[in-house]
Amino acid sequence: MKLLLKQEKRQKGGLAIAKGRFVLGITVPLLIYESLGLFIIGWAFVLMFFKYSSGRLGGPILGLGGSNPFVGFGNFIEMFNGTSVEANLFRISLKNTLIFALAVLPLNLMITLPLAYLLESIGERFKALYRTIYFLPVLTSSVGVALIWLSMYDPQAGWINAIIRLFGGTPVSWLSDPRAGFAGVSVAMWAVILAYLWQDYGYNMVIFIAALQGVPQELKDTAMMDGANRWQTFIKITIPLIRPTMLFVCVMTMLSSFQVFDIIQVMTNGDPGNQTQVLMLDIYKNAFRYQQLGWAAAESFILFLLVMGVTIIQMRLLRTEWEY
Amino acid sequence: MKKLMFVFVIISMMLVACGTGGQVTGNEKVTLRLWTHTNNAFNTGYDALITAYQTEHPNVTINRESFEYDLYLQTLQTAMPAGEEADIIQLFGTWTSQYYERLAPVPSNVMTLDQAKKLFYSAPVGGFIVDGKLYGFPQEFNCEYGGVLVNKTMFQAAGLTFPPQWKTMDDVVADGLKLVQKDASGMMSVAGFHFTSADPIAFSFLAGIKQRGGDYWNTDHTGFTFNTPEAKVQLEWMVNAVQSGIVDPLVFNDATNPVIDAFFTNKAAIGYIGAWAIAEGQTNFPDFADEWDYIYLPPTQGEPVFVADSGWGLTVSPNSKSQDVAWDFIKFVTTDTKNALSWNLASGTIPAMPEVAKSSDIASKEPWVAKALDILPDGEYLGNMPDRDLVMYEIIYPRILEALQGVTSIDEALATIDSEANSTFK
Repeated sequence: MKLLLKQEKRQKGGLAIAKGRFVLGITVPLLIYESLGLFIIGWAFVLMFFKYSSGRLGGPILGLGGSNPFVGFGNFIEMFNGTSVEANLFRISLKNTLIFALAVLPLNLMITLPLAYLLESIGERFKALYRTIYFLPVLTSSVGVALIWLSMYDPQAGWINAIIRLFGGTPVSWLSDPRAGFAGVSVAMWAVILAYLWQDYGYNMVIFIAALQGVPQELKDTAMMDGANRWQTFIKITIPLIRPTMLFVCVMTMLSSFQVFDIIQVMTNGDPGNQTQVLMLDIYKNAFRYQQLGWAAAESFILFLLVMGVTIIQMRLLRTEWEY
Repeated sequence: MKKLMFVFVIISMMLVACGTGGQVTGNEKVTLRLWTHTNNAFNTGYDALITAYQTEHPNVTINRESFEYDLYLQTLQTAMPAGEEADIIQLFGTWTSQYYERLAPVPSNVMTLDQAKKLFYSAPVGGFIVDGKLYGFPQEFNCEYGGVLVNKTMFQAAGLTFPPQWKTMDDVVADGLKLVQKDASGMMSVAGFHFTSADPIAFSFLAGIKQRGGDYWNTDHTGFTFNTPEAKVQLEWMVNAVQSGIVDPLVFNDATNPVIDAFFTNKAAIGYIGAWAIAEGQTNFPDFADEWDYIYLPPTQGEPVFVADSGWGLTVSPNSKSQDVAWDFIKFVTTDTKNALSWNLASGTIPAMPEVAKSSDIASKEPWVAKALDILPDGEYLGNMPDRDLVMYEIIYPRILEALQGVTSIDEALATIDSEANSTFK
């Protein structure tokens, strides 16, 4: 008996050692990889306190100092109080990013949630077909989507203006007329929002479908038995029960909206008159076109704070303290 | 004694090594890296010259690596601070003032500044000079001023003389008006004279200031002077030209219908653009069937003085262990007239050397260069701006376009350009 116990212990000990080695083998490379990421974040954190350009030699330690001088909070003060072109562009970009994100989130929810509900209520055969159709734009590359919409918005050959002409209307320069606007937002911004929504809504729709499938049928049936109609059931039963999913969708949509870049870069590159210049595009231009890496790092920090703040607010507003 | 001799020999060898500063001797194997941006025509020219140089110098191997334009910018910005850039770096001359701290100056035994100024046109070599030091050699004259693509088929269809005999810019506007076409809804489908893309707007504006006797630099080049009477007259001329109806800047600008696309898709009869567009247009729009030509505009006033960027050229990294060979190769490529000619012909660019520009080969194979020979000596270097792209593409172009589109007034546009451009010096 003792011998058997000893053997078992030895086996267990061998397994524990093997497990330990395995964990060590996985975690050490991961930690090294992670530390690289931390170094990059740390470098960006340092840069935002300098007027740093990679073209300049700077001081002896990592090129900091000298011709890349330490400016403390100078970059941040300039961003909000300065009159330089970079400061003006930052403020315009910040405003445009907020407009973009605040327009995209409700519009996305207005499209995806009802659509998911409708898809849930149709037959299985068509459900899969429609789900695939609506999800296809998500799988398409952003550059491809941007090029498709770019051709549709073409003032002379695009089919949107062709339809307008057909009905005797005046064609619009969708992406290049700085005078045209709707609800206080430029037409160019609406045009890129529409293209972005088209590409993005399939993703949230699929998530909502999964959430709707998780709502217990008994609860809905009970509500109906108590006299609630379909609308009341949807508002009073379904929506509260899918609140955790709504939180996830809101946070993710907001995050991706704040980080929008490629579709705008291809479609307008910030034109007309900086009306579609968003923060990510401004950061990219400052970092890689104008070599103002210190300024770009400071802008990135502001974007980080913005995203974090909005996420915390959303989590507070939509949190639930129960599960089903 | 033997030990002493041994120490003496070792010390002598070390001194010799230090004395040569890492220079290579005739038969020592040398491998150099050359970085260029991806432009097939340019790189074909480089490859031919690399082969020729390697044939003359069998101990030297030059490996060319090229990057897409945007990636090239990013690579330079990350590799240079890390000291991992190539030995030879292709650089747009105007960028030199932003990178010169990370570049090797041209040694005086390779070429002096005075020799370079005599050898090259003033505008191309100007970009490679920072604080009185030369940092590289130009290969092309990047002339964005004054050249226009003209569609012969459209001219003939409109009953206009071809080639046009323009004496003044008013003649150009008059022809442009007759070439405009609109669709049934009233939207301009063909611009008569398209000059509302970024480069034509910026360079015609700056040239107009110069031709009217003004300047956009203050006396010691420490600030800009854009809000001047000369700038106002030039911008008024541009606004009046647009208001006459030769181009609709809402439909024709950099975002929608840039000049090269508009011209080669029959949406512009006269397109204001640099000669580089000829090779690119022919490559990118093989189906374009209309007859066309490339000619030069008359000045808006006075002499055809204009400003130009420095264009592409070659520089050497101070981290290169074989700088002497690198400079020798660059000199071989850029200052030998036969080699410079072969690169300009391959790349379809305007030569940086007058001697090459005036050659019979250029006259027969790049006839548009021959037409520009009269104005090229009038080209001045744009000047070392703190951030050239920011000033040209984020300040001058959008502000003037807004004035042309009727969004802002001329006075507002000039005041904004002046204050924003001067803020780049901070």
